[in-house]
Amino acid sequence: MPDAGALERYAAPRALAEALELLRDGDATIVAGGTDLMPQSHSGKARFGSLLLNIRRIAELGGIALEGDTVRIGALTSISALLASPLVRERLSILAQAADQFASEQVRNAATIGGNVCNASPAGDTLVPLIVLDAAVELAAKAGGGIETRTLPLQDFLTGPGRTQRRPHELMTAVRVPLPPAGFVARFYKHGTRPALDISTISLGIGGVRRGDRLERVRVAFGAVAPTPIRARAAEALIEGRALDAAAIEAAAEAAHDEVRPISDVRASDWYRQELVRNMTRRVLAHVAFG
Amino acid sequence: MTVIERATLIGKRVPKMDAPEKASGKTRYIHDIDVSGQLWGKILRSARVHARIRRIDTSRAKALPGVHVVLTAADVPDQRPIGVNKDHPALKGDKVRCVRDEIAAVAADTEAIAQAALALIEVEYEDLPVIADPEAALAPGAPVINEKHADNVAMRFDYAHGDVAQGEAESDVVVEDSFKLHYVTHCCMGVSGVIAEFDASGNLLLHSNTQVPFLHKREFAEILGIDPGRIRIVQPPIGGGFGSKLDIYPFEIIAVYLARAARRPVKLVYTREEEFLASPTRQPVILRLRSGCRKDGSLTFRSVETLHDNGAYTSWGATTPFVMMQTFSSLYRVPHCKYHTTVAYTNNPYAGSFRGYGNLQATFAVESHMDKLAEAVGMDPLAFRLRNAQDPGEVTGQGMTFKSCGFKDCLRSAAERSGFLARHAEYRAAQGAGGRVKRGIGIASMLHVGGGACGTILKLDDFAHVTLMTGASEIGQGSETVLAQLVCEELGLPLSAVTVVNNDTDITPWDVGVHASRTTFIAGNSAIGAARKAKAKILAAAAKKTGVPEGELDLVGGFVVRAASGEAIVELAKLLRGLHFSDKAELVMTTHYYEPPSVHQDKGFKGDVSAAYAWATQVVEVEVDLDTGIVKMTKVTGAHDVGRVINRLGIEGQIEGGVVMGQGYALTENLVIEDGRVKNPSFRDYKLVTAPEIPEMDLAFIETMDGEGPQGAKGVGEAPAICIAAATANAICNATGVRIYELPFTPEKVYRALKGVAPKVAWRTRAAA
Ligand SMILES: Cc1cc2nc3c(=O)[nH]c(=O)nc-3n(C[C@H](O)[C@H](O)[C@H](O)COP(=O)(O)OP(=O)(O)OC[C@H]3O[C@@H](n4cnc5c(N)ncnc54)[C@H](O)[C@@H]3O)c2cc1C
Repeated sequence: MPDAGALERYAAPRALAEALELLRDGDATIVAGGTDLMPQSHSGKARFGSLLLNIRRIAELGGIALEGDTVRIGALTSISALLASPLVRERLSILAQAADQFASEQVRNAATIGGNVCNASPAGDTLVPLIVLDAAVELAAKAGGGIETRTLPLQDFLTGPGRTQRRPHELMTAVRVPLPPAGFVARFYKHGTRPALDISTISLGIGGVRRGDRLERVRVAFGAVAPTPIRARAAEALIEGRALDAAAIEAAAEAAHDEVRPISDVRASDWYRQELVRNMTRRVLAHVAFG
Repeated sequence: MTVIERATLIGKRVPKMDAPEKASGKTRYIHDIDVSGQLWGKILRSARVHARIRRIDTSRAKALPGVHVVLTAADVPDQRPIGVNKDHPALKGDKVRCVRDEIAAVAADTEAIAQAALALIEVEYEDLPVIADPEAALAPGAPVINEKHADNVAMRFDYAHGDVAQGEAESDVVVEDSFKLHYVTHCCMGVSGVIAEFDASGNLLLHSNTQVPFLHKREFAEILGIDPGRIRIVQPPIGGGFGSKLDIYPFEIIAVYLARAARRPVKLVYTREEEFLASPTRQPVILRLRSGCRKDGSLTFRSVETLHDNGAYTSWGATTPFVMMQTFSSLYRVPHCKYHTTVAYTNNPYAGSFRGYGNLQATFAVESHMDKLAEAVGMDPLAFRLRNAQDPGEVTGQGMTFKSCGFKDCLRSAAERSGFLARHAEYRAAQGAGGRVKRGIGIASMLHVGGGACGTILKLDDFAHVTLMTGASEIGQGSETVLAQLVCEELGLPLSAVTVVNNDTDITPWDVGVHASRTTFIAGNSAIGAARKAKAKILAAAAKKTGVPEGELDLVGGFVVRAASGEAIVELAKLLRGLHFSDKAELVMTTHYYEPPSVHQDKGFKGDVSAAYAWATQVVEVEVDLDTGIVKMTKVTGAHDVGRVINRLGIEGQIEGGVVMGQGYALTENLVIEDGRVKNPSFRDYKLVTAPEIPEMDLAFIETMDGEGPQGAKGVGEAPAICIAAATANAICNATGVRIYELPFTPEKVYRALKGVAPKVAWRTRAAA
């Protein structure tokens, strides 16, 4: 039974400005696809505020568009829509790889990228690829008579499990992803016990610009090994600009293993998560380097 | 002359009779049934694992608008304990012994109100030490869980044939290992539920999902102190059983108590979380097996000790040793065997019956040792098994007589179809080679029994439509269709001419319930018996009417025909109408009660307990990822001695489903229980196998035409789930050289084993102590 908490009112505005106006009054719960929110309220983990604000009808929050050399992905973009987008598949392929391993067909149709980001789960599957892609989060709020937006790097936006820098009166409007340069390669790996419908035990994304046998602008990111998805800076440093031979790959994998501090839970022990981090960094790095 | 062609449905691919309703979402399960005036029942379960109840205050719950009744143990002084050991009161009064414990119940206008009322019940506990480990439960001075069993022992089983000391003396090789089998649960898509209502005269009507309506009727009569004749159980279509609905559970009795107190019908249906927390599990077992063989590969002995975690109360799980010992004594030729089980009370949830009934656990250990012994004497796994497999006519040390026995055919067929020997050698040779993904293949076999008695009533109406009334419940396994097929075969009618009634104790004849792979065999024979009596009656009447001797007549395609030529003599429906309207008006209505020619076991558990024995061999192929420990099941080849295939589509479905259930047991399913608490009561963290994981399957049927079976058939319901875990263990070992003694083979468990950091299953047996 969902815990209605203090819920008094439901609104489903069609315009962003209207939604922001409603948010300004405070104590609202935003619902997009509801695929996190509903299970959380059923289990008592989330309590509704006095206003339930359904943002699904706001057309301005949808769409994937190339604006200069930035891809703007509207917050309401569903995981299915990411998968269907040629722009995402061709230019942000690591995000499409993650979308392809996300939940099930039904959940992908409802789940949004904004919900995945704002839910801020350490295991959120779009977060690792977005970090590898240097993505930023666009937030909007009503200020005076107009709408004010600000943009934050995703890494800074995420502050802990379920915690972000979003202020109560702000709505996330989009993810902004700089177009990766030519030669950019990246791979996503998700460890679950089954090929579909599983929460990541760990996930990892590795990307960089390939120049001969070297990788530059290297990004190594992990999910489900810390309170937020993280970048493994020590591992990155060990491969940045170096020839990627077996020794370099091994060193980076070991560094990643030592760098993460996962927890033990019903899905896996901390020890096993660390082992996975090493082994899969090695495997994915070899893919990125040689495949 | 009109000649009627003979047609048979036996062995054909016949869609299940209930398929159109189910596929179109029209089937009305218990969830879909509402009776007028009904209230919703909800149960408050213990917040503690083991505690005294100091105080329960229900006053705030009672005051909530919409609440009709709130009950605690104090309100039902006439409670009688239920369960296999009669150790289980439905509502617990002074003490809770596990997290399932029911301490109060509410009946209210809506489910939401009932739920809200639960939150208003105040309970004060005084914690007691928790015993979450059966070994600890048996330690001297351990806290007592059930006052009537001061030693915390719920049951013991001892079995022996031959002399294991002599067997050991004759052995060239002896191996001994401990195995650990985990908790899994049935995960029926239809959760548990019941609607209880009393009529104005105090007669009880239950809409119930039970697999054993006639046994329940009797139990409820005892519990309520009323005549069993005043209880009627109607079963709506059941959304999965697999053994879970074989016992009587507190929730059913509580619904009856609530209905009695409220004088209104009460519906009580579990939530999914409640289903995980409060419905029975498969029996967890710690097991030590010592086995031996001679250099020539012949088995010499098996010596087994097991420790069963009974949980806080005794349900059918405690009796799985009945089936386990059969596998130890009689799967392969074992001259000397000794078996002991101690079933210990703990504060964990209790296990019930579950498809295979202990056989998955026993087969896992036995087949691991078959591979180890084969390796030790330098034989290939197939030759070693064939050396010890039985032939038809053999009698085992436990007294089972294998009238029909396709064991060796199963072994040869499964091995040949899967290319077992060549692959096994190839993968073994590649163990040391490079590569992060290793392939492996493993083989295992199983033996299973079936039994019990069943009655049928058969009625033909004036349009030659048959109503088959059987005590055997349909729980999705397809029994309706098979029983109808068998009757059609006798009466020469199409499937559309039969209606099966199997869900109302006021109508159907007595039956012991659906379990033990028994329905096709037992209810099938019963249905055939009734159909043959009807046929005899019809042919006698036809002979009288036409002057053609009975012996020359037959029933084909809805006609009475000349047996030799197929020439139609009279339409069956017309003949029946004639009978109804003749001077000596007569109905064709017959009954038959089938009791199989099996015997009850003697005190030493010996005897020919089953009229027929089912056999199967399964070969499992896997890929093991050395970096992650992920085991991917790529192919299952199964050869099943089913006696005879009656409905090919149905039996394929049964076996495919069973394989997937076995796959879940082997690889993914694990009900995690820590300190008596269930850690993953949801499908998010309790991992059922999903569609993309299901392996390729190649199924072969060995038709041994059992002399006693209906059309030669034997039971198959449980068989396909039984040896998958055992064969998977052997496949992982073939791939990696590492043997794992503990289920399930989750990635982390396998990875730890590969790294040599898995804790060894350690257990000090009674014999060692
Ligand atoms: C069966 C199942 C499987 C799943 N599998 C996966 C998986 O494989 N990988 C994975 O990462 N996740 C998975 N999830 C979780 C979930 O589907 C995703 O996190 C999804 O992206 C959430 O999006 P949503 O639109 O449904 O969010 P909602 O549930 O609507 O919202 C989630 C949170 O974000 C807030 N929010 C949403 N949109 C905005 C916005 N624009 N501005 C501000 N706040 C906002 C909400 O208030 C809420 O707190 C699964 C869930 C289910 C039920």
